[in-house]
Amino acid sequence: MIIDVDCHNYWCSAEVLLPYMDPFFKDYFVRGERTGPKGAFPHAHRPWFHPEGFKRADIDPQSEAENYQIMKSKHLDKYNIDFAILTGDESLEASTLANPYYANALVKAYNDYQIEEWLPLDDRFVGSIIIAPQDPHLAAEEIRRLGHHPRMVQVLASHGASRPYGDPFYHPIFEACAEVGLPFAMHLGGQGGINSNPIGAGPTTFFWETHAILPQTAMTHVASMIAQGVFEKWPELYMVVIECGVAWVPSVMWRLDANYKALRKETPWLKKLPSEYCRDHIRFTTQPLERPANLQHLWSTLEAMDGKNTLMFASDYPHWDQDDVNALHIPPDWRDNVLGGNALQVYKRIQTIVDSKAA
Amino acid sequence: MSNNIQFACKTHDVKPGEPAIVQVNNLPIGIFQIDEDYYAMLNVCPHLGAPVCEGPVSGTTEGCCSGKREFNYVKENELVRCAWHGWEFDIKTGEFLVDPSIKARTYPTSIEGDSVMVHL
Repeated sequence: MIIDVDCHNYWCSAEVLLPYMDPFFKDYFVRGERTGPKGAFPHAHRPWFHPEGFKRADIDPQSEAENYQIMKSKHLDKYNIDFAILTGDESLEASTLANPYYANALVKAYNDYQIEEWLPLDDRFVGSIIIAPQDPHLAAEEIRRLGHHPRMVQVLASHGASRPYGDPFYHPIFEACAEVGLPFAMHLGGQGGINSNPIGAGPTTFFWETHAILPQTAMTHVASMIAQGVFEKWPELYMVVIECGVAWVPSVMWRLDANYKALRKETPWLKKLPSEYCRDHIRFTTQPLERPANLQHLWSTLEAMDGKNTLMFASDYPHWDQDDVNALHIPPDWRDNVLGGNALQVYKRIQTIVDSKAA
Repeated sequence: MSNNIQFACKTHDVKPGEPAIVQVNNLPIGIFQIDEDYYAMLNVCPHLGAPVCEGPVSGTTEGCCSGKREFNYVKENELVRCAWHGWEFDIKTGEFLVDPSIKARTYPTSIEGDSVMVHL
C-alpha cells in the first residue's frame, strides 16, 4: 500500500475557481486588483522568490486536463500509488489575506472545485478541506460543511499563520476537526501578508537559505499545540506536519521535555511529557527528508522520534524538491509503515475506502 | 523501621516552608515541617545530584479534566523544587511530579522531646 500524503493538484489558471465562487467575491476576483497576471490566485506573496520556479522542469501542463494526465503518467501510475491526498497548491495561500471573508470564499471555491473536478478523475484521489485559519469560526464552518464527505480525509492549513496554532484563538478549528473526525494538517506555505513572521530574527535573503529554515515555524506550531493542551481537549485528534522537515523533531522534543520537567506547573492541563503527546498525536511527512552524508546519522535521529510509527510518505509531486518512492532513504523494514500503514491509522476515511473496496 | 535512629535537629530549627539542612552520619539531609509533622529527604537530587532540599518549598498547580484551563493551587508547602533544575518533589513521598517512578530518597522521622530523629 502506497499512500502519498502530499500530492499537489495544480491548475493552469485560478480562474477554474470562478464557477464555484459566490457572486460578491467573484467580482473581487474578476475586477479587483491582482497580484499577478489574469488567472493569478489572490494572495499576499512571501518576500522570497524561487529563482527557477517551483515546478519540476519536466512537468509543464499546457491545458487544465494535462494537469491530471501528466500526474497520472509521471507519478500515480509510474510509482503505483494507491492513494494520493490532494493538497492543492496556491489555495493554501488564502491564509495570507487580511480579509478573512474573501479568504474563506476562495478556499470554499477551491474545496468545491476539488470535489467536482479532481476527485471524480481518479479513484486514487482523496481530498483535503483547505481552510483560511485567520477566521477560525469561518474555518470551522467550512470544516463542518464538507467534513462528512467520504473522500475528504483531512483539514489543511498553511504553516504560515498569524500566531501559533495551539493558541485558544484557533480552538474552534480543532473542535470542528474532532467533531467530523478529521486530522488537522499544516503544509509549508502562506508566509506572506498577515503571516509575515515565518523567520525568527527577521527575513533572510536568499530562497534556498530561507526554504531550509522555514521549519522553524513548524517547531513553533508543534510546541504550541502540545503546550496549549490541544490533545488533552481533543484526545482523538491527529496533527499532520507536511513538508516541514523531520530531523529537527527529536531535538525539539528533548528540549520541550527538559523544560516541562522543571516548569510543569505552568500548564497543569498536561498529563504527559511533550514527546509523548508528539508520539501519540503528531505525524510528520517525509518529503523533503534530510540526507546527511552518513545515512546512519539520519536513521539514528529518526529512531529517536519512533519514525517507524510517526513518519508518512509524501512525494510533494510535482515540486522541485520532490522525493521518489523507490529511492526513499528510510530503514528497509520501515517501508510498509511509512509508505502506507501509518497513514491508514491517521486517515481513517482511507481505511474505510480500502475496506469498502475489499468488500 | 530502621534501628539506626539518629538526631537530626531541634524542632524549633524547622518551620513550615523553612527546612533545615543537616548532616546525619555524613549524609546531607533536609528536614521539613508540614503541619505538625516532620519529613526527611536526602539533599541529593535523583536527577543530577543537586542539593534538592535547598530549593524553594512551595505548592503547585494541578490540572483538571479535558485540557480545561484551571490553575488550582495545591499542596502548599508540601513540595520542594530542586535548587538547580526546578524539578518538583513531593516532600512526603519523594515522588517527582512529572514521573513518580523517579523519587528523591526520603527517610522516616520521629520526635523525641524537642528533637527530630531520622531513621536511616
